[in-house]
Amino acid sequence: MADAPARTPSAPAAPAGDTPSPEGSAAHLVLDGLVKTYPGKDGAAVRGVDLAVERGRMLAVLGPSGCGKSTTLRMIAGLVEPTAGRVRVGGRDITDAPVHRRDMGVVFQSYALFPHLDVARNVAFGLEMRKTPKADLKRKVAEALELVRLGHLAGRRIAQLSGGQQQRVALARALVVEPAVLLLDEPLSNLDAQLRAAMRDEICRIQRETGVTTVFVTHDQQEALSMADRVAVMNHGRIEQTGSPEDIYERPARSFVARFVGRANLLPGTAEGQDGDHTLVALDGLGRVPAAGEPVARGGTATVMLRPHRIALSPAAGGTGAVRGTVLSAGYAGETVAYRVRVGDDGPLLDVERPTGTQEPFGPGAEVELTWDHAAPRLVSDEDGDSEGSR
Amino acid sequence: MTADSPDPAHARTPPDPPASAGTPESPGPAATPGSGGAPHPSAAGPAPAATRRRSPGRVAFALLLPGLLALLLTYALPLVWVLRMSLNEAEDGGVIRQTLSVATFTHVLGSSHYWNVIGQTLELGVLVTLCTLVVSYPVALFLARTTSRWRSLLVALAVAPLLISSVARTFGWMAILGTQGVVNKTLDGLGLTDTPLHLANNLTGVVIASTEIYMPFAILAMISGFGRLDPALEHAAAALGAPRRTVFRRIVLPLTLPGVLTAALLVFVLSLSGYVTPRLIGGGRVFVLATEIYDEAITALNWPVAAVLSVLLLAVFGVVISLYLWAQKALEARFTGPGEARS
Ligand SMILES: Nc1ncnc2c1ncn2[C@@H]1O[C@H](COP(=O)(O)OP(=O)(O)O)[C@@H](O)[C@H]1O
Ligand SMILES: [Mg+2]
Repeated sequence: MADAPARTPSAPAAPAGDTPSPEGSAAHLVLDGLVKTYPGKDGAAVRGVDLAVERGRMLAVLGPSGCGKSTTLRMIAGLVEPTAGRVRVGGRDITDAPVHRRDMGVVFQSYALFPHLDVARNVAFGLEMRKTPKADLKRKVAEALELVRLGHLAGRRIAQLSGGQQQRVALARALVVEPAVLLLDEPLSNLDAQLRAAMRDEICRIQRETGVTTVFVTHDQQEALSMADRVAVMNHGRIEQTGSPEDIYERPARSFVARFVGRANLLPGTAEGQDGDHTLVALDGLGRVPAAGEPVARGGTATVMLRPHRIALSPAAGGTGAVRGTVLSAGYAGETVAYRVRVGDDGPLLDVERPTGTQEPFGPGAEVELTWDHAAPRLVSDEDGDSEGSR
Repeated sequence: MTADSPDPAHARTPPDPPASAGTPESPGPAATPGSGGAPHPSAAGPAPAATRRRSPGRVAFALLLPGLLALLLTYALPLVWVLRMSLNEAEDGGVIRQTLSVATFTHVLGSSHYWNVIGQTLELGVLVTLCTLVVSYPVALFLARTTSRWRSLLVALAVAPLLISSVARTFGWMAILGTQGVVNKTLDGLGLTDTPLHLANNLTGVVIASTEIYMPFAILAMISGFGRLDPALEHAAAALGAPRRTVFRRIVLPLTLPGVLTAALLVFVLSLSGYVTPRLIGGGRVFVLATEIYDEAITALNWPVAAVLSVLLLAVFGVVISLYLWAQKALEARFTGPGEARS
């Protein structure tokens, strides 16, 4: 929108009121210990969520279906009343403010466009509620539709739009009022695969252009990793880990995160001491493996994560000391081959993923040597989110 | 099954994230055996195709035939008979003279008495429809929106009065509204009135009783017509800054209008042809077309006049239903019609 350049994502101006976050930057949206227990249900849907989103940034809440993502989003929007906890925007506590005074732009999973109004009047709705003067209103509606590239469809009925177009109208309707925060609930889940990729870029572009602080919820790890500045992985009503997409993928703190974001071999073992900033872990069949990550005391149980694509395979040579294995199956998938490899004679099963075209694929029964670089094994904690507060 | 053209959308589906590490069976092509290429039209084989080629219109007609015959016997033929009767003339003593004249029509239409009857029928219809809609709308809206697990029970309760004959319910209202009825006894006992209120044997009583009697129909019609009402729409409007009243006015009301319209038609038509309640509660002082037709046919034995009144009632129905269809179309155009250019 041409008239909203005040918020630039690159230089968050941190106006008075934003809560200083530990990293020293300003958090625009802060969730503080949010809990939701639905009446008549035992167990809370959301069990203490703390999150902070910097002004102008995009946070993805990623988690399996039913983990409480929508409930969290609805508590921010004011559509669900929290059982406990606070919601702050720009330093102002809005926990008790009614929905219509919150100044949130919400895009619903079903889009929730008004079927009895045309595209332009859908977009104008929020401005009408704000008593925007007529001339301004027309200009802003036109600009918002231009932003989502739907200017030519202003007079269309909702029933006459495709799914992708409805999605854009929903975005324009939420953004035209220049909300404090944009909330998106599974914004791409109702689109087919091709359109999903296009809208993913589109949402990122729009978010960058408007610089609106954004929270979106998804169960799709690729969506979360590729779109968001920060990702919060959620499970059973708690945040398991918050970090940059690289953090989440390369340095998962818990086995749940490692498993849910990407594919992972998770190998149980025993810590045998430190080697620099690596912990030496004795793994069944693999010997002593140095792994990076939160150190584990000597003698403690430790879980090592090894991403399938970080393991290299080579034909077994006579040498000793290398990890040897037998290929059980090889699944060709175009760009990669997915192997299952039995380590030793009765060692663990490992998933291995190799790019095609670099080496002759191995067939089932092939004897191979497995290698990985020093940084590949990571220690992950096995704790369930129950035993400890979430980060 | 044709396995030669694997659907590209399926082949590229990424593996389910949570299952990535644990399960040995990778979701390869074998996991979706049936989802490859679309079934070929010719794969159905020659025999079923031949069956399908037999005109579907003829099958539909054969299926419709019993219903059509029943309608012909019970509806179309009597209607023709009524039309024929309306062209006869009556003489004193219940004698019907077979003619083909509009004399009875001119007699009826030239009489202020019958015009009064038609007027009162329409007045009653409008009043009953308005009252029924006003009382039923909140109930229907609640029942359509509630997520309570008692919802089905509540809907059943709202419709339960239909289990009792409207004659019995009308007698119930007589006991409530009469001069010696519950309402007047209570008011009198409380010292609020000196003379009893006239709630029965007049139009007021008929409107009150009819409203209650038609409520279940209105509620049912509204609930089934409220399909477009999605709570997410109300949430969206609220999130865009609309207070509750505005959400109702701008979102809920327009979206429920088609259901209200259907209920209005139903109640209006039922009330136009209603006989029991105007007769019993009207106490012989409320003259509507239905009671008038009965009196002419059974008491005065003037079948031609009764037939003319029936034809007039049918004409009123025709007008009402045309109005309904027109309104329905106008509403529908607001949802789907070609969007007019906005000013
Ligand atoms: N309105 C509601 N009433 C009762 N339980 C609910 C309601 N909405 C969600 N839940 C429950 O809360 C849990 C989390 O739901 P939700 O936040 O929708 O999860 P997600 O969006 O991550 O799939 C689920 O177990 C769900 O059944
Ligand atoms: Mg959800």
